[in-house]
Amino acid sequence: MNSDRYSRQSFLGADSQDLISKCTIAVVGLGGGGSHVVQQLAHIGFQRYVIYDYDVVEESNLNRLVGATLSDSLAETPKLHLAKMTIFGLQREARVRGFSCKWQENPEPLRECQIVIGCVDSYKARQELEIACRRYLIHYIDIGMDVHSKDQLVIGGQVILSSPSSLCMKCMGFLTDETLAREAAQYGNAGERPQVVWPNGVLASTAVGLAVDLVTNWTRSDRLHAWLVYNGNENTVKESHTLRNRQTTSCPHFSDADVGDPVLREL
Amino acid sequence: MSIQFKLTGALYREIMRDLERPHRFAAERVGFVSGRMGSLSAGGKLVLVTRYHCIPDDCYIDDPDVGARVNSEAITRAMHAVYHGRSLREGIFHVHLHQHHGEPVPSKTDWREIPKIMPGFQAVGRQAAHGMILLSADHAVAWVWLPGGEPTISDSISVIGIPIRVFERKALQ
Repeated sequence: MNSDRYSRQSFLGADSQDLISKCTIAVVGLGGGGSHVVQQLAHIGFQRYVIYDYDVVEESNLNRLVGATLSDSLAETPKLHLAKMTIFGLQREARVRGFSCKWQENPEPLRECQIVIGCVDSYKARQELEIACRRYLIHYIDIGMDVHSKDQLVIGGQVILSSPSSLCMKCMGFLTDETLAREAAQYGNAGERPQVVWPNGVLASTAVGLAVDLVTNWTRSDRLHAWLVYNGNENTVKESHTLRNRQTTSCPHFSDADVGDPVLREL
Repeated sequence: MSIQFKLTGALYREIMRDLERPHRFAAERVGFVSGRMGSLSAGGKLVLVTRYHCIPDDCYIDDPDVGARVNSEAITRAMHAVYHGRSLREGIFHVHLHQHHGEPVPSKTDWREIPKIMPGFQAVGRQAAHGMILLSADHAVAWVWLPGGEPTISDSISVIGIPIRVFERKALQ
């Protein structure tokens, strides 16, 4: 390996490439957001991956799926395969464990990770991933985008960091009983979710930036939780007002003691 | 079979802070941590460290032949932790710090003394993993007595904080 390869990111720290190469990172969902994430992680030098996606490339993905071509939509190439090609194209020695299933169907590999980046579509899916990450002591980074229409169309999105011993997505005000209930009521009637490439790119880049900071702490921010709000109309990413105005300093929803495989206890 | 450990950054700092404190006469400090098991692929085990049990100053015995020797009260407290963690299959791990950098290796005294306390822990918490964790200034290694098994060395210990630390055995790198 050419020693110049990472010279332009040496500001991350003298031992940053060693730290990055030892980190096992999962990406759940390899669509519009996940394909960007995987590509950036491979460029940065991550070597150990756990990736999940059971979908194949369709024509409607080509507006945003990084690495996908017309041929892939015709051949219905698995998104998992595209992600592996991207990683191995940049990191020949990478250890990639890819699973063409829901992560819940094979959760053990996820537990070995230090970071999980969730690129999933629903609040429920986010909540389930966060619960697993808390149970097995994993930093969870969530990304998502949507297009809202009230008076005018607005592209919105979020990047959230939820770490063990810190605030969770409920504490931050992102996941609420109302949003989960509303989503459950609309189950099966979600319609077409608007997705475009550039917000996914912004959100994925922000998530990868958080991941690199978790591994290297190059910013010295010591940040264990974050909710960053993307406004695609203004092209801004700002700290959530909801989070900033919260007085919560500790998480009542998860305890560091509630970890490991669930055990049935006799009453 | 892979055995991996994880603990939060906050807990790691708590352990290090306590073990680095000087003692009135002991050359080093020791402690215990509780650890709960999770399952990994291919029969691997994940030990999630949940809390630290500091050993009070007056539980140390003045013995210049070893870095630290603790009395029966310290062991009894550890046994209590195992007893109360039985329903959660929570085991106990002796922990101490070697004052150097790099991968720690158990001393002859470590190998002679620490395994002696394992049968007691195993008798109380039969379904839990017990063992010892050795820390250095920038590394860590664990030896694990799985239920009904011989001691096995861990593959890695991950500190889930900022920055993330993954302490791996040199042999695996």
